[in-house]
Amino acid sequence: MSAISQTCTDLEDGARYERVYLLSLWQRLFFGARVTMPRSAFAVKPGDDGEAIGMEVRRVIRKLYKGRALQIRAVDGGSTNAEESELTMLGNAYYDIERFGLSFAASPRHADMLFVTGPVTRNLEAAVRSAYESAPHPCIVVAVGDGACTGGIWKDSYAVVGPVDAVIPVHIRIPGDPPTPTDILRGILHALRSTA
Amino acid sequence: MSLSAFLIQGIVVLLLAPFSTGCARLFKARLQGRSGASPFLPYVRFATLLRKEMVIANTTSWVFHVTPIVVVSTSVFAATSLPLLSDAGAPGGLDNFIVFSAILALGSVFLVLGGLDPGTAFGGMGSSREMTLASLVEPAMITTFAAFAVVSGHSDISGMLNVGGAALLQYPSLIISLVALGLCTLAENARYPVDNPATHLELTMVHEAMILEYSGASLALLEYASSLRLTVFSLLIANIVVPLPLFSAALSLPSVSVTIAAAIVKLVVAMLLLAILESSIPKMRFYRMQEYLSVTYFIALAGLVFSLIPLS
Amino acid sequence: MMQDLLVSRGIIFCIVGTLLSGIVGLGGSTSFWHRASQALLVLSNVIGILAAVSFFSSGADTLPLFRLPFLFHTTFVLDKLSGLFFLMTTTVTSLVGLFALRYVEGYRESYNIRALDMTAALFIFGMQTVLLTTNIAAFMLCWEVMSVASFFLVMTDREEASMKAAFLYLTMTQLGASALIAGFFLLSHGSGLVDFATIASTARMLPASTIVFAFALLFFGFGSKAGLVPFHLWLPEAHPRAPSHISALMSGIMLKIALYGFLRVVLFLLPPLPAAAGLVVLTIGLLSGLFGVLHAVVDRDIKRTLAFSSIENLGLIFAMIGLGMYANSIGLDALAGIAVAAALFHSANHALFKSGLFLCAGAIVQETHTHRLEAMGGLAKAMPLLTGAFCLLALAASALPPFGTFFGEWTFLEAIIGALPKSPLPTKGILLITLSGVVLVSGLAIFAMVKLFAIASLGLPRSVAASHAKEPTVWINAPILIFVALSLLAGISSSYMLHALSPALIGFLPARASSMTVATGRLSPPALFLLLLIVLVLTVMVTRLCGNRLRRSSHVWDCGQPVDASMEYTATAFSSPIRFFFRFLLHHRKTVTSVPLVANNPWIAKHSMSVNADSVWFDTLYGWIASLLLWLSTQAKRLQNGIIQFYLLLIFLTLVLSLLVAV
Repeated sequence: MSAISQTCTDLEDGARYERVYLLSLWQRLFFGARVTMPRSAFAVKPGDDGEAIGMEVRRVIRKLYKGRALQIRAVDGGSTNAEESELTMLGNAYYDIERFGLSFAASPRHADMLFVTGPVTRNLEAAVRSAYESAPHPCIVVAVGDGACTGGIWKDSYAVVGPVDAVIPVHIRIPGDPPTPTDILRGILHALRSTA
Repeated sequence: MSLSAFLIQGIVVLLLAPFSTGCARLFKARLQGRSGASPFLPYVRFATLLRKEMVIANTTSWVFHVTPIVVVSTSVFAATSLPLLSDAGAPGGLDNFIVFSAILALGSVFLVLGGLDPGTAFGGMGSSREMTLASLVEPAMITTFAAFAVVSGHSDISGMLNVGGAALLQYPSLIISLVALGLCTLAENARYPVDNPATHLELTMVHEAMILEYSGASLALLEYASSLRLTVFSLLIANIVVPLPLFSAALSLPSVSVTIAAAIVKLVVAMLLLAILESSIPKMRFYRMQEYLSVTYFIALAGLVFSLIPLS
Repeated sequence: MMQDLLVSRGIIFCIVGTLLSGIVGLGGSTSFWHRASQALLVLSNVIGILAAVSFFSSGADTLPLFRLPFLFHTTFVLDKLSGLFFLMTTTVTSLVGLFALRYVEGYRESYNIRALDMTAALFIFGMQTVLLTTNIAAFMLCWEVMSVASFFLVMTDREEASMKAAFLYLTMTQLGASALIAGFFLLSHGSGLVDFATIASTARMLPASTIVFAFALLFFGFGSKAGLVPFHLWLPEAHPRAPSHISALMSGIMLKIALYGFLRVVLFLLPPLPAAAGLVVLTIGLLSGLFGVLHAVVDRDIKRTLAFSSIENLGLIFAMIGLGMYANSIGLDALAGIAVAAALFHSANHALFKSGLFLCAGAIVQETHTHRLEAMGGLAKAMPLLTGAFCLLALAASALPPFGTFFGEWTFLEAIIGALPKSPLPTKGILLITLSGVVLVSGLAIFAMVKLFAIASLGLPRSVAASHAKEPTVWINAPILIFVALSLLAGISSSYMLHALSPALIGFLPARASSMTVATGRLSPPALFLLLLIVLVLTVMVTRLCGNRLRRSSHVWDCGQPVDASMEYTATAFSSPIRFFFRFLLHHRKTVTSVPLVANNPWIAKHSMSVNADSVWFDTLYGWIASLLLWLSTQAKRLQNGIIQFYLLLIFLTLVLSLLVAV
């Protein structure tokens, strides 16, 4: 192993470096340690029910094949990008949102779930509404972050329309400024699993 | 091929198709150090999509509705006519290699039309790229299979399996053609280095950009068609490399079940290799595709030239 | 015997009726006379179809029709080759006549309908008779009727550009015709009244060099009429300028008449040619295919794209014939038979789909008032029936299953691959080059046709006129739909038709019925059609059963910024990858101009980008010829110095020279 890393540092020898690098990469990928957080980390602890979800979303999730394979479309409603940064984390090896059957989609037409972030600004109001109209129903709308849930520190600003539910109906709210990936996953999974 | 063998092959391959994309995704997740989703997730995904409503842009025309049906039909056509599980030729010589590549081109043409129909810039971009790839891969495909046809003396793919397997070692030129076939497969199925199947960035998309406007059952059909196409190609290449075991026109329960089991193993191995390949190489810039495509074409041509040189 | 009489009566009726329809058309400028003329044209050509079909079913090889008491006492004879082309001509003409019934009335202001009907009838009459003539003088006379009538047809709309295109066309076609006359005279020892049959027997005695020279002249003559590269310059200019139904006749039939002339000369008149002749035809054919298809991909005018696609298809057909000639000269008879049969089948298919496509283009141009693909779009929503037919014809033009073109190309490729292992080494190389050329061209043809259909009819309308387009009347749609049906029928019955086409060559190649069966027997077109149909129906049923029926119409997904037609992919944008990949062959010039909007700030500017497609051939080959001619005429101008003594000296020298030649 040390010989390999020795060679890895030797950047002069390009071709050899590449070959050995690939070998070591495969070795690490096949036999290396798993970094993914255990599923139990996202389980809802007893006593902490999260947000009580409404009847409507229960019905929606049951209809969407019990929420086992959902595609998410992230819609930026004027956030500070803090939430986007956390959402990006969901796909990495540590949180690995894909193992729960969730994945991000490239178009709201493909989405079963919209993640809307940020207080909806006047400039992006049309974008949020357009994404909601474009998504096939039933579609679960998740407000991610304090801004999306209540308006946060931008509440009642002249540039802001208001929280997401001022524009489109919201089913699940995940508070936090920004919420950590663990918070987001826990919130979503709680909503999905408690009806499944 | 008797009709029942024809039917069994069609049904089994159609059922296996979502599994193969699931496998490819699982293996890729594993190679990225993630746990990944279950390989059976695509089945659930298709069921979910079929239950959802369809949102149709008001700028679309009849082409938008016809596209998913034609695209999925061409994939099903390939899945039923080729020798994927049964080694008997399809009735009417339908497993002819030129028919195969033309049918694939027909599917690509409709995918392109469907991408252009809503009139969005993303759809047009994906369509222009896909059409470029499809129209330049088709010549390479025909040339590749021509080498197999010349060596085996058969122009139907079931006859070409005669020179597959151990016989490949007698005809080293076919190894070159096999490489070309692999390159064609990557281009036809929108995999690395031609396209990134998992991208969400519209500017880098090829295949995904064309189906951005589809939803519900049409989306399910289009995604199913692409996974079916991948399955057909993987089984085809696997059968050329290992042409055993395949059931013949005379059906028997053991031979059919062994063949199906072997097909699943072949698919898993093929997807593992694909995942390793995709994890090891980057996607190429689209305007470098001219290099990729011409290399593919000339490798195919080299395979054909070498196959014409008598060995002894 | 009775049947023969009926057939010859039918054909005479067809020809006379065509001519009469022109005279009826001259009768008056009201729509009654126009409709009567077109109805007569349709009727006489339908009778022509019936006569040609019954000629084929009678199984006779030749059928003498009549002998003219005047005009060189020429005899009109129908044989299998001319019968095939006669059938194509009458089929396309009758449908085009049906189309013209209402189509032309839309152009009452810009066209002189009486003259148009008359010249069109003369044009068709010329094409019909040129197929039936049997001696050089009559052949050239009918050929010129066809050429000159089509010259007038090109400038029907009397616009500046049309005049220019027409004169370019006239120059090229007359150059070709003079080459034809020279070539024929070489074969007939300078006599114009010789029968083709006599030429065929005397040509065997001629020295080989004369034969080769005559072949070169005739190939130039017919090749320039067929639009082969590098004599194709007139074709993309002239075909689009004519009224669309005439473009359909020019592309669908007139190019085939050139092909017929070439086949008549090569298969029946000339003795076996050296292998190099076949190779020249093959090379020119492949070159035409490649250049035609590349220009069809990058062009942005709906009718010019179709014209370039005609160059491509004729290129493929000539490549097939060239390979057939080569194979025949080295003794690969089976390959030669299949190649020529495939060429004939492909030309029949081309007549069907290209005429249909030109009619579609005509209907679209009538609705949108523009030729530019960039100003169309969104037609599929407004005219589903016409665009549906357009889509199917474009698929036929891309040689995709289950259309006849696919089976034609399939047979040809299959024959090449079958001949590859058995042939000697140099032949292998030629077969390989042909194979790779043909597959590349057919791949790119798909791109060209998809661009044509998709940019014209999908997306949003990119001009006001395009957004007001409506479905044309049934009189316009019906002939196009019949073309679609015929193209599909040619696909389903292709193995039968390929089989039937090989004996059309009787007299030159021995009929290779057995080897044809081997080539076409393995793939059964009806089976392909059936499986495709079953799979389509099953897919529709399964989606109907399993899928959610709920549908909701919504705006296109726009990321919050409303989508309009200016964001759409245009023809220029769509073909840009191919333009980039083949930039060394296409020579496109990109010009970016920026005009500052604010005087003191150059950064705020209006940018406009344009891509210029200029022909390589025009710049190089024709540029040289033009400068050479200019130089020569400047030199000749020195003779005109105005000194009378000098002119007298010239006259004297001429006299001496002619005396020397005469003695």
